[in-house]
Amino acid sequence: MTRASVRGSGARAAAQVRPERPFARFRWTVTVVLLALLAWSTWSVDATWGRLLQAPGRAVGFVGTLVETASLEPLGVALEAMWESIAIAWIATLLGAALSFPLVFLAAANLTRSRVRQPVRQVLNVFRAIPEIVLAIALIPFLGLGPVTGAVAMGISSIGTLGKLSAEIVESIDDGPLQAVEASGGGRLERLRWAVLPQAMPEIAAFWLYRFEINIRVSAVLGVIGIGGIGGFIAQAVERNVFERIGLGLLVVILATMLVDAISSRLRRRLIEGPSPAAQARRERASTGGGPTGDDAA
Amino acid sequence: MSGEASVDRERGRTEPAGRQVRPRKPPPQPFTILGLAGLVAFTLVTAWDWALGIGFDPLALPGELADSNPAMVEGLFNVTDADWRAQYVELLRTHFTDPDSPWPLSLDSRIGGGLVETVQIAVLATIVGAALSLPLAVLNARLGAPDRVTHAVVKALNNVNRAIPDVIWAALFVVLVGVGALPGILALTMFTIGVVVKLTSDVVDGIDRGPIEAARAAGASHAAAMRTALVPQILPAYASFSLYAFELNLRGAAVLGFVGAGGIGQAMSYYWSQLDFEAVSVIVFVYLVLVIVVEQVSISIRRRLG
Repeated sequence: MTRASVRGSGARAAAQVRPERPFARFRWTVTVVLLALLAWSTWSVDATWGRLLQAPGRAVGFVGTLVETASLEPLGVALEAMWESIAIAWIATLLGAALSFPLVFLAAANLTRSRVRQPVRQVLNVFRAIPEIVLAIALIPFLGLGPVTGAVAMGISSIGTLGKLSAEIVESIDDGPLQAVEASGGGRLERLRWAVLPQAMPEIAAFWLYRFEINIRVSAVLGVIGIGGIGGFIAQAVERNVFERIGLGLLVVILATMLVDAISSRLRRRLIEGPSPAAQARRERASTGGGPTGDDAA
Repeated sequence: MSGEASVDRERGRTEPAGRQVRPRKPPPQPFTILGLAGLVAFTLVTAWDWALGIGFDPLALPGELADSNPAMVEGLFNVTDADWRAQYVELLRTHFTDPDSPWPLSLDSRIGGGLVETVQIAVLATIVGAALSLPLAVLNARLGAPDRVTHAVVKALNNVNRAIPDVIWAALFVVLVGVGALPGILALTMFTIGVVVKLTSDVVDGIDRGPIEAARAAGASHAAAMRTALVPQILPAYASFSLYAFELNLRGAAVLGFVGAGGIGQAMSYYWSQLDFEAVSVIVFVYLVLVIVVEQVSISIRRRLG
């Protein structure tokens, strides 16, 4: 049956072949609101849009200068700054993990009554909402302006996300082991130790590593307010037009971030998926030498 | 405890060797040992007070927190002082009202204008960035790319983009287009692309392939198959990630001003350089309120998107 014949057989038949599209009120509202926001922002923002046209030409010149002035001379300083960013991010991640860990179990629906859980969740939400820069500014009167300030600010602001997502991981665990521990008389701590942690810990640790990747970027951002690291290094170089530092700084930050991402994502995969089948087989072959380890009753 | 004992007794009858009832605990995986050792070593290296560490001492931290800079604390949050509170309210009034204007709220001051500009930057960057992200997200997934070369190129470019922090983009765009809101918009557009493309293309990898096969079987070109069979499946997740990027942009927009890329950060760094900590405190406060309100709205919309 061709399209023409359908159309020819009357409006009713055509309507049956393809049902009328329902009026999507939600979709229309969203579209109109978005367009209105876009129009308002475009007209009222104090941006000289004409400069956009010059940007490609300038970019070519800028990259040209970067290539011309390319030099490995500031490599030591750049690497040092990058390492400082990584160190800040690592300490911040550990701090966030340590501070959020006890809250995770209080925020999980399968472990804690809602009377306790709801306030804890609200606390986590508050930490999630506060931007890192706000925390950093609030900490400066106490800790001064330096890497430790950045690490503490980022650590505190990591609590919210780490706590919320880790609690969701804990909520997704299998209920069986929890019931088994309970049935054999285990209390709250035994349940944590034998039912929750073995199931949730690999994923939680993987999530900590993921937060580390994010924190490296955040520490570069906080660098511009003066906590140190590669962010401040590049921002200062841009401000003072030190081209060999800009180019090398960019190169270092791109390569180092991608390297850490690659290592971290491999570790995360290993944490969640366990050892590769080949490695597992090798281990089993090595351990069977010491007599039977399997027991079908266990 | 008693349950375990009875099992032991029962087993004891059938199996003579009690040792076999509980299997030997396997030795820890090499990954676990190396991982823990690496963790401890890395932590010590980065936390120690030497060339490679930042000098983070958790035991000294409470002491350092107690030993504060009184001038800054008094400016930033001297909440117990009645004079400070009165002055704070006065500051809010002078910055957010205009005696000549009929409106209860005026956003023409340095702080009010900065706040509005921050929202405008975040809105523009999110809409433009998200619009560019949808096709890029499709190309960034193996399933959505027309060929392997396109996939590899898009993926590599997006990895480089994600490795550059948003302030660095902002600093670079300040060089290219001058100071103001424009470099901020461009920087956060790049940031939005990085976030939305990454998250959305992860969703593409997990979708139902049936509709795409159906579209191909019906003779659709690659682009048509993507548009009719793939995009509708990822649209809710994509919309949700775009809103999430808006929340991130609003938070990220505060730092842009420190490198000359507009927004509330400009007012923040101005008053900071004037050592007017009370004004900084007012900015931080109103900005925080804005972020929390927008986040609540965004979260409720995201929940609606499913």
